[in-house]
Amino acid sequence: MGAIAQMLARLEDENLLAEVRKQLDEGVDPLAIFKECQEGMVEVGDKFSSGEYFVSDLMMAGSIFKQVNEMVTPLLGEEKAEKVGKVVMGTVKGDIHDIGKDLVVALLNAANFEVVDLGVDVKPEAFVEALKANPDAKVVGLSCLLTTCYDAMKETVEAIAEAGLRDKVKIMIGGGSLDQSVVDYAGADKFGMDAQAAVTIAKEWM
Amino acid sequence: MTPSKLYLERLEKVKKTIALENDRPTTCYMGTSTPAAHMGVTMAEFANNPDVNLDVSLGYINEINKITPIDCLNTGAGGIKINVGLTMTWLSRIKMPGRELPENSIWQVEEKKVMEVEDYDLVIEKGYDALVQKILPKVIDPAEVQEYMNYVQENGERNAKRVIENGYPSINSLSSAPPFEMLCGARSMTNFFMDCYKMPDKVKAAIEAMLPKAIDILITSTKQANGMGTWIGGWRGASAMVAPKIWDELVWPSMYEMGKACLENGIVPTFHLDQNWDRDIERFKEFPAKSIIINTDGMTDLRNARKVLGDHAAFMGDVPPQLLATGTPEQVKDYVKRLLDDIGPQGVFITAGCDAPANAKFENMVAMFEAANEWR
Repeated sequence: MGAIAQMLARLEDENLLAEVRKQLDEGVDPLAIFKECQEGMVEVGDKFSSGEYFVSDLMMAGSIFKQVNEMVTPLLGEEKAEKVGKVVMGTVKGDIHDIGKDLVVALLNAANFEVVDLGVDVKPEAFVEALKANPDAKVVGLSCLLTTCYDAMKETVEAIAEAGLRDKVKIMIGGGSLDQSVVDYAGADKFGMDAQAAVTIAKEWM
Repeated sequence: MTPSKLYLERLEKVKKTIALENDRPTTCYMGTSTPAAHMGVTMAEFANNPDVNLDVSLGYINEINKITPIDCLNTGAGGIKINVGLTMTWLSRIKMPGRELPENSIWQVEEKKVMEVEDYDLVIEKGYDALVQKILPKVIDPAEVQEYMNYVQENGERNAKRVIENGYPSINSLSSAPPFEMLCGARSMTNFFMDCYKMPDKVKAAIEAMLPKAIDILITSTKQANGMGTWIGGWRGASAMVAPKIWDELVWPSMYEMGKACLENGIVPTFHLDQNWDRDIERFKEFPAKSIIINTDGMTDLRNARKVLGDHAAFMGDVPPQLLATGTPEQVKDYVKRLLDDIGPQGVFITAGCDAPANAKFENMVAMFEAANEWR
């Protein structure tokens, strides 16, 4: 693992940003820097999965990655990293919580997914429209912190089915208190206990 | 007012449970939003009108109690205006049903930064009050706070008596948040967690500057309410949420000091712990044995907690909200029975994890308490 990846994995934000600036000044390929950051994020995800890192670490890593991304992306031009796949994400109707959803979006971006982020309090028909506009999206992520919005998740899954799109996408859910019983209730395919799990699930489905 | 024999018996059972001297599990009601739908009132009316809140909550609790006894209440039986208390706890705006949200929506915290980085210096130099005075008007109309304070002044004692007349001891009369949680609410979680990495010394200094007043409010308010105990909340400071260094330096010290101050003043601290606290559960051994309650939401492993803590602390929990909302009565009973089989009844209050949700099925709430009352 290169220096950039190691610094990201150790959450050394200032050192990392200085190193990125230095390497860019030295003419290092921005795409190589970007890929090394992704490597670092994979290491962060592994540390989270093994219990060495916690949610705050994921958020810190996501923040660092975003800053590097902002430095590097304008320099990439046509030469961009090939996307792993496309995910439509949103917090379901009636629920305005965005922290968990935003963290999943950041980690999916870092894992090189293209994410269509619909925001919070998203109506079922907005998910359907997004899927129609993005026929290459294979995964839908429904975020929901409130138990009272389980029905909104169910309605969203039903709306996707009614639009004839259910067999074209896999649907993952996540948020606060949920387990397999909520997956069954909503008619989704899988749940993730945390933001990193969402990345693992999305990769499985590609 | 002389409390009824039933009330006194239940109160004794609560005290024995805290001391782990009970031989049966103790049933404890917790469902801040649960009564509204079942009792046929809108969430807007329920959450915004303290009198309706109390009447409806007591009606709901009594309906369950007629079927299977409820020994005590975790945090009273309402008589509150939801957003005022939560705003003061988290320094965040609470969006309310019938106002910013549809009238049957549950209230929700608006995650928005209302405190700037330079405000840490304000706290460090001028203390808790300076921060609250600056932030509070950004998240709630001060007139609304004053109106509710007047209501409590005029009706608080009457409301407390009504709960006692109905035969229910309330374990906690106040919900308090350690400074970590307040700062997290005011800065918004993403910004605050970044602060904890980038300027931990400043965050620590702010927490230390806030702590004495936070403790003073906690003790004074609980005493004014003649309360047996008070909540000390842990939400975003959960072990699963923050790195060990942050937890050790920024979360635990003030939680511990708040709990210690409660005990020194004869107040039972209930540590209301959302999310998973497995990593650090052993730290609760730092309190004297049989003096505190650990109130979890189904994500902390109580079987592990029992192994680690033994008979050091009472447990309150932990039927998962999703089970109460989507499960069947049989599934709920099975959950409670297995929990009691595994951790035993000593020092155990059976209640909903965190807070029974607004869409908890009535039959599941009954099943939760029946399972505890029928256990062995």
